Amino acid sequence: MRPISLKSIYLSLLIALLLQMLPWAGFGLMLRPDFVLLVLLYWLLRSPQICNIGTAWLVGLVIDLATGSLFGQSALAYALTAFFALSYQRRLALFNTWQQSSYVFALLLLTQITIMILKLFAGGESPGLVYFLPSLSGILLWQFVIFSRIGIDSHAQKN
Amino acid sequence: MPRAMQHQHPPAFFVRGPSPFARLVFFIALSLALMAIDSRLHYLTEVRQGFVALLHPLQLLANTPTNLYLDAKEYLVTHDTLMKDNRKLTKKVLEQGAELQRFRALETENAHLRSLLGTAQTLKQPAKLGEILHMGRDPFTHKVVVNLGARQNVEAGEAAVDEAGVIGQVTRVYPFSSEVTLITDKELAIPIQVERNGLRAIAFGHGRDTTIDLPYLPANVDIRKGDKLITSGIDGVYPIGLAVAEVTQIERNPDSPFAHIVAQPIAGIENHRQILLLSIPKAETPTGLTVETKNKPALTPTEHAPH
Repeated sequence: MRPISLKSIYLSLLIALLLQMLPWAGFGLMLRPDFVLLVLLYWLLRSPQICNIGTAWLVGLVIDLATGSLFGQSALAYALTAFFALSYQRRLALFNTWQQSSYVFALLLLTQITIMILKLFAGGESPGLVYFLPSLSGILLWQFVIFSRIGIDSHAQKN
Repeated sequence: MPRAMQHQHPPAFFVRGPSPFARLVFFIALSLALMAIDSRLHYLTEVRQGFVALLHPLQLLANTPTNLYLDAKEYLVTHDTLMKDNRKLTKKVLEQGAELQRFRALETENAHLRSLLGTAQTLKQPAKLGEILHMGRDPFTHKVVVNLGARQNVEAGEAAVDEAGVIGQVTRVYPFSSEVTLITDKELAIPIQVERNGLRAIAFGHGRDTTIDLPYLPANVDIRKGDKLITSGIDGVYPIGLAVAEVTQIERNPDSPFAHIVAQPIAGIENHRQILLLSIPKAETPTGLTVETKNKPALTPTEHAPH
């Protein structure tokens, strides 16, 4: 297995941020998956020794700045998700694809719920069920990770 | 000997630093502190501005695909549609030219009357034409980001309008861009007046739909369906008489002392790429007024002193 360099992690995160910053509008904006979170989860589950809770927190902070939301909102949600992602990371090799997908889906939902709760505390209005669409599109994107060669499963099998 | 020492202090099998839970607690505490500082103390405005300026090239890069697409679409417009547009616009210019002449005459007359009455002159508000870079990142807040920033002398609080009416207000200014909160956002309130009878009220964005609410009006208030709401100009931010919304729904519930009034914005809140930012009139009127009021009590004693 090729060792993963920090450069590739940050480059992929930057590309994800670029995707997130595309001028989405209307329904596309509603449906837009959280690209940065997906890439972050991929690295968290693949190489937790390089990409850790601190990385997740920092990335969340960048997202807060880019979206203009309250400082630390996404940072907190990402750090929490990273914690839960890492706590089962070692068992991931035993999961089959369905278990892995549902695990990642739960993590995506956790992030969104955390952000929603923080926004409600900050005085936002409760959004409808549409709010959770990005998790759905996110898990659909995750299928590419599972079925392509970069999948975390194959990495585990190689080891 | 070294073997015994190794036995006594086995090297850590996994070099991991602090435990994940400790890290989590640390970072959660840090984010909570940051949130408190940002929301209550507003110390981080400069940090945010600097960072968004750094992100600006990335934003431009992200916008290139759509810009290229739009350019290509513009380039491939047929001669026929161009001619049609040209004819339509020429007609519109002629019509508006006639109206503008009348407006100029009225404006001079108004200024004259105001000077006769001795009231404060209405201030001119120069406008800057901006282009929308992208919608807000969060689909649940109604915000757009415009390509004018502090470098173009945009200030927070400026009104954003299009040719039909008010769109919103500039809420955050970055060096090269600024954030406009739309009138449909829950956070934005705008002082309005009913065009038909001059009734004043404050309109709030609804938040979830693209509508505007008029809360805190009594159930027997004189508002009808189809009434046009215009800016009252009381805040000194929006000029008087800009169209804001049209009343679409009125519910008078006998249980509640307030009427539930919903209005639909007139401006094309989600269809335009170009919007105008109106500068805030410099605080000449208030200072002028305070000078007058300061002068008055100063004058009256001297007037009264001889008597």
